[in-house]
Amino acid sequence: MSDLEIDRLSKRYGKLQVLTDCNLMAEGGSVVTLLGPSGCGKTTLLRSIAGFVEPDAGRVMVGGRDISMLPPNRREVAYVFQNYALFPHLTVAQNVAYGLTVRRRPRAEIARRVDEALGLVALSDFGGRYPKQMSGGQQQRVAIARALVLEPKVLLLDEPFNALDAQLRLTMQVELRKLIDRIGITSIFVTHDQAEAMILSDKVAVMHGGQIEQLAPPLQIYDRPSTSFVADFIGRANIMPVQVRAGRTDTPQPVPTPRPDGPAVMIVRPENFEVVPGNVAGWPGRIGFATALGATIEYEVDCGMPEALRVSMARAPGSGPLAQGTDVTLRLRSTDGAIVLGRGAAHV
Amino acid sequence: MSDVTLDALPPRRFSWRRRILEGGGLWPAVPALVYLAVFLVAPIVTLLGFGFVTLDRGQVADGSFTLEHMTGVLTDPLVWRLTWRSFWVAVVATTLTLFLAYPVAYAFSHLQGIWRTLLLVAIISPLLTSALVRAYAWIVILGGRRGLLNQTLLSTGIIDQPLQILNTSMAVLIGMTQIHLPFMILPLLAVLAERDRRFEEASLNLGAGQVATFFKVVVPMSLPGIVAGFALVFAVSYTNFIIPQLLGGGNYSTLAVQVYEQTIVVLDWSRGAALATLLLGSCFLMILLITAVGAHLTRWSEVPK
Ligand SMILES: Nc1ncnc2c1ncn2[C@@H]1O[C@H](COP(=O)(O)OP(=O)(O)O)[C@@H](O)[C@H]1O
Ligand SMILES: [Mg+2]
Repeated sequence: MSDLEIDRLSKRYGKLQVLTDCNLMAEGGSVVTLLGPSGCGKTTLLRSIAGFVEPDAGRVMVGGRDISMLPPNRREVAYVFQNYALFPHLTVAQNVAYGLTVRRRPRAEIARRVDEALGLVALSDFGGRYPKQMSGGQQQRVAIARALVLEPKVLLLDEPFNALDAQLRLTMQVELRKLIDRIGITSIFVTHDQAEAMILSDKVAVMHGGQIEQLAPPLQIYDRPSTSFVADFIGRANIMPVQVRAGRTDTPQPVPTPRPDGPAVMIVRPENFEVVPGNVAGWPGRIGFATALGATIEYEVDCGMPEALRVSMARAPGSGPLAQGTDVTLRLRSTDGAIVLGRGAAHV
Repeated sequence: MSDVTLDALPPRRFSWRRRILEGGGLWPAVPALVYLAVFLVAPIVTLLGFGFVTLDRGQVADGSFTLEHMTGVLTDPLVWRLTWRSFWVAVVATTLTLFLAYPVAYAFSHLQGIWRTLLLVAIISPLLTSALVRAYAWIVILGGRRGLLNQTLLSTGIIDQPLQILNTSMAVLIGMTQIHLPFMILPLLAVLAERDRRFEEASLNLGAGQVATFFKVVVPMSLPGIVAGFALVFAVSYTNFIIPQLLGGGNYSTLAVQVYEQTIVVLDWSRGAALATLLLGSCFLMILLITAVGAHLTRWSEVPK
């Protein structure tokens, strides 16, 4: 199992700087997701790994070997396209056999490996069909079989679930993760859907404006975002300007922080706030809007800040939300759960 | 959800009046259909009809239906020789246009901006002059000792005897290929310029080189354009009589030239019409064959679910 390492990769198109100094490390056999909003450069980064895009600077290493100078057909890096790009003029079996045919493998070996690969994605009986005769989910499995039959060192997938409907998507995500674990291939995934990133990855690389803002395991990204963009993009977040004095914030409930004195931002997840009645230490405010979602109740609380603070509380059976306009106080459930970042990390 | 919307719609009542008014979407095509019926179908039927009657000073003789002209044409060995010549000249010229047109269309698909526009102008501009003018231009180029080609080759010392190209099959093939080239380039250009480059990337990613990708992905996926261009250029080459007449010399004849000569020179309209029936019929059969082979080769594009 080969590691994949991206080292200070940059790319610009004319005046547009699409990628800036991207670094990424995927240990052998692990799944790393590139997560970010549309247009942040995910596809460009993935295409640079496959060799379809020639970066201006930086290297791509697979198993410790620099592959940056190799043409795309000699990289041993499999790419699953967004709409699968199955050859419409070839049958499913011929599609899967394509890479072996151009390598001039013996006919018997091709037949055996194609059978195995189709079996792996549970499509053994579909070899004679044309791609047009297959459903979206089946086409995706063909694309994966076509990629894996060559035993590549790295598997790259660009938003592979976009073309599928919501129901099928979840099934396929779980199936794919199981398949990757079974064959143990280093995989890089592109998505703009944070739930998908959470399901599939060992590590998430959150991208923003052509840069990788944070690379960490999914829960760590959620609990310890390194920028306010990451905090806001993964789950929801209240972002408040604060001052740090002598190792603590100047908030109603002081939060300890190793940051130096001066301006900072504090990030609080909605579920780390609780709404309590009356006047206790905390953020005094007024219920602006309440939604009961079944398991939770979501409040927007006006605390005199430019934006209302969001709160998410578990709902006790039979209880309902507080009425709009009720005076309440917001308290932190845990001061450890609040994150204090420097102002520099506070761009959204 | 969808059930609710369906129920909410009032049931659609069936009405013959409505049916006719909608006409299965055919009404917008009526002007074109009328035009074609009056100016294409009627003249062709009339012309072909002349092959089955006896004409007397431009008048159809009463009750003179006859198969005599048709059998006369079909049993004439000369006619079959000319049909064969028409056929192979057209096939060779069409194949040549295909091999010349494909690289041009492929290059076009890789050009951008002003270069693309310039190439398109270069491809289309020959169509601005008539085929007749271009055939004469080939006479100037290929003709005798004083032709452009021979003059150049003689003066540069590459040859010391003038080449005899004009008035041979070679000249007919050269002229036909050049004059019909745009009809091959345009359908190829349509499929190649619009093609999805991800299929080529997928091929490279699977380990194929540029050359293998071209022959295994680009060419097969452009087959619909190849078939369209081949059928089109075959039809215009097979039925063209100007180019063989001008570039093949006075005694070079094809089936199409025979139709022209019987009708305009010999003034035997009945034989001309019978020959025209053979020309159109055989051309039609050939087009059917090309499209059938094409449909078989591109059956992947319309497989049932
Ligand atoms: N070939 C190209 N030429 C010019 N600009 C491009 C090209 N490819 C991508 N871009 C630009 O680069 C940016 C990032 O694109 P992309 O990597 O596709 O983003 P994502 O996959 O995250 O949505 C976009 O602004 C896009 O317009
Ligand atoms: Mg993308």
